[in-house]
Amino acid sequence: MTKLIKHTIIVQHLLRHPSILIFLGLLSLFTITIVLLSEGVGVDLVPTSFIKTLGKTLCLCMVAIAMDLVWGFCGILSLGHFAFFALGGYMIGMWLMFARTKIIVLQAAQNAPLPMSLDEVNDAVGTQIFGVVGGADIPVIWTFADIFWVQIGFVFLIPGLLAFIFGWFAFRSRVNGVYLSILTQAMTLALSLYLFQNDSGLRGNNGLSGLQNIPGLDDTPQAIISIWFFIASAVTLGLVYIVAHSIVHSKLGNILTGIRDNEDRVRFLGYNVESYKLFIFVLTACIAALAGALYYPQAGIINPAELAPVASIYLAVWVAIGGRGRLYGAIVGAAFVSLLSSYFTGGHAPDLALGLGTLRWTEWWLVLLGLSFVVVTLYAPKGMSGIVDRFVIKGNK
Amino acid sequence: MSHLLHVDNISVSFDGFKAINSLSFDIGSSELRAIIGPNGAGKTTFMDIVTGKTRPDSGDVFWGPKSHSLLRKSEAEIAQLGIGRKFQKPTVFEAQTVYENLLMALAKPRGPLSVLFYRQNEADNKKINTLAKQIKLDDHLDQLSGELSHGQKQWLEIGILLAQEPQLLLIDEPAAGMTSSERAVTITLLQELSRTRSVIVVEHDMEFIRQLNCRITVLHEGSVLAEGQMDFVTQHQAVIDVYLGR
Repeated sequence: MTKLIKHTIIVQHLLRHPSILIFLGLLSLFTITIVLLSEGVGVDLVPTSFIKTLGKTLCLCMVAIAMDLVWGFCGILSLGHFAFFALGGYMIGMWLMFARTKIIVLQAAQNAPLPMSLDEVNDAVGTQIFGVVGGADIPVIWTFADIFWVQIGFVFLIPGLLAFIFGWFAFRSRVNGVYLSILTQAMTLALSLYLFQNDSGLRGNNGLSGLQNIPGLDDTPQAIISIWFFIASAVTLGLVYIVAHSIVHSKLGNILTGIRDNEDRVRFLGYNVESYKLFIFVLTACIAALAGALYYPQAGIINPAELAPVASIYLAVWVAIGGRGRLYGAIVGAAFVSLLSSYFTGGHAPDLALGLGTLRWTEWWLVLLGLSFVVVTLYAPKGMSGIVDRFVIKGNK
Repeated sequence: MSHLLHVDNISVSFDGFKAINSLSFDIGSSELRAIIGPNGAGKTTFMDIVTGKTRPDSGDVFWGPKSHSLLRKSEAEIAQLGIGRKFQKPTVFEAQTVYENLLMALAKPRGPLSVLFYRQNEADNKKINTLAKQIKLDDHLDQLSGELSHGQKQWLEIGILLAQEPQLLLIDEPAAGMTSSERAVTITLLQELSRTRSVIVVEHDMEFIRQLNCRITVLHEGSVLAEGQMDFVTQHQAVIDVYLGR
């Protein structure tokens, strides 16, 4: 019975907000088109490497939604959400690496005269994984690395817990505005520096690698696996969008916007502002972690450099350029800027000869990105979606 | 004698400046009270202490028939107990409609999850419509509150307070920036409100206060200088000295 009611609520929500259907329709259309054109299952027009790029881009769109919820709607300029993204990647990476190494070890031992004991297997796996950092013991934090569902739980639990502890102290002390942003930067920098250490238990600056190889699927070509991840990313993005949309259009969304626009007014209405901030901070950290867990198997490798403070700043730039306070703005911003970034920094763009010297995109792209951020902040504070809004409003009048 | 709010001998200083100096103050239920005083007399600080924004250095604040102390409570808890506060500048949620502003303020469970799963219903809808009529905004329910006139925003903020169903309203300078006809409406509104709950109005404008026709507390340098009806206060020598003399 309750299921039926829930069902109708979702249906009602969908009917009241046709924009969700438009978004889901476009996303499905895009996904199906790419799959049909893919190297793996389609007509071989889109190479596997580009499928992976697109899949990763969908994951980046997910973090951008999280960033938009926490910054665009609640006004908390977090410059640390990429830390949660990367932590999510680390958590799933541990399982991928451990499970696959174990399979390899067991296969190698098949021809041995005596079957290996459990300790011997663990030692061999430990040496394989931690040899690069001069160790052979499996660190305590890898205790459950062999159990898929536990690591999936950790994808949400560990970043969620970090966000909870950080948010608890920061929000309770009423740290606001720029000070909070600096604090979040410090958090991601500290975490990154910690992970760089060899004895952090996560292979120091080597990070986790070979994540594109899914345990037990050695015979499945990457062309196929990439399609699976691409579809999974698209479906998850759709779900995250629905969740974010229903939050934004609920009374909770009203209160979050209220906190953004006037925290004191909300507080004197009797709402505990701190618990709302904590709620949205932890929720968005979990969304970011989920995105990371889908991203890094497509990237293949994760290392502490991924948590560099600048990564979280890029995230803010995407959302600002796309338009904060608009969910589709965040998605468009993240997709547009990150794809453009990988085009220009990947050496695909031809250098421009400008008489006196040549413009090398790989070097100048960041300057250009920085400039466009300044321009957007000054002249289009609502970003690209603000321009869309202006046309829509004009059209209505 | 039972008071709704009993402020007992509070003092607070900021960097050596005594903003509130041994101030005591009482208000009964269903009472309309005006607080006046020159700049720096401690009017806003007084409100900050009652609503939990500032902690006094000494003294205590008691609330309700059972005289609970408010000092250890957060702003949100105090608001939930039934003290509504209107800021000096009209503070409404400008990016949201009048309807949404009122909906947020309705007396309902205040936790994030109960708010997330809140569904609109007819009873709440009715409440909002009644409120909107009371504050003369029933024709503007779907308008963004940022588009309202200054006076309308003041009313909306009063409406937001009323939606919380408070027992005591603290209202900081309601008449600021209002046209004379808006003032007249505001005065009637405040008098009406004080029939069913207590209202404290802080105001500079003597003419506005004269028309409110209520008991007046004069603050000066952080303590009560005089208290009584308009005629008593205006003929009080100390009040005349503070306002006109020196």
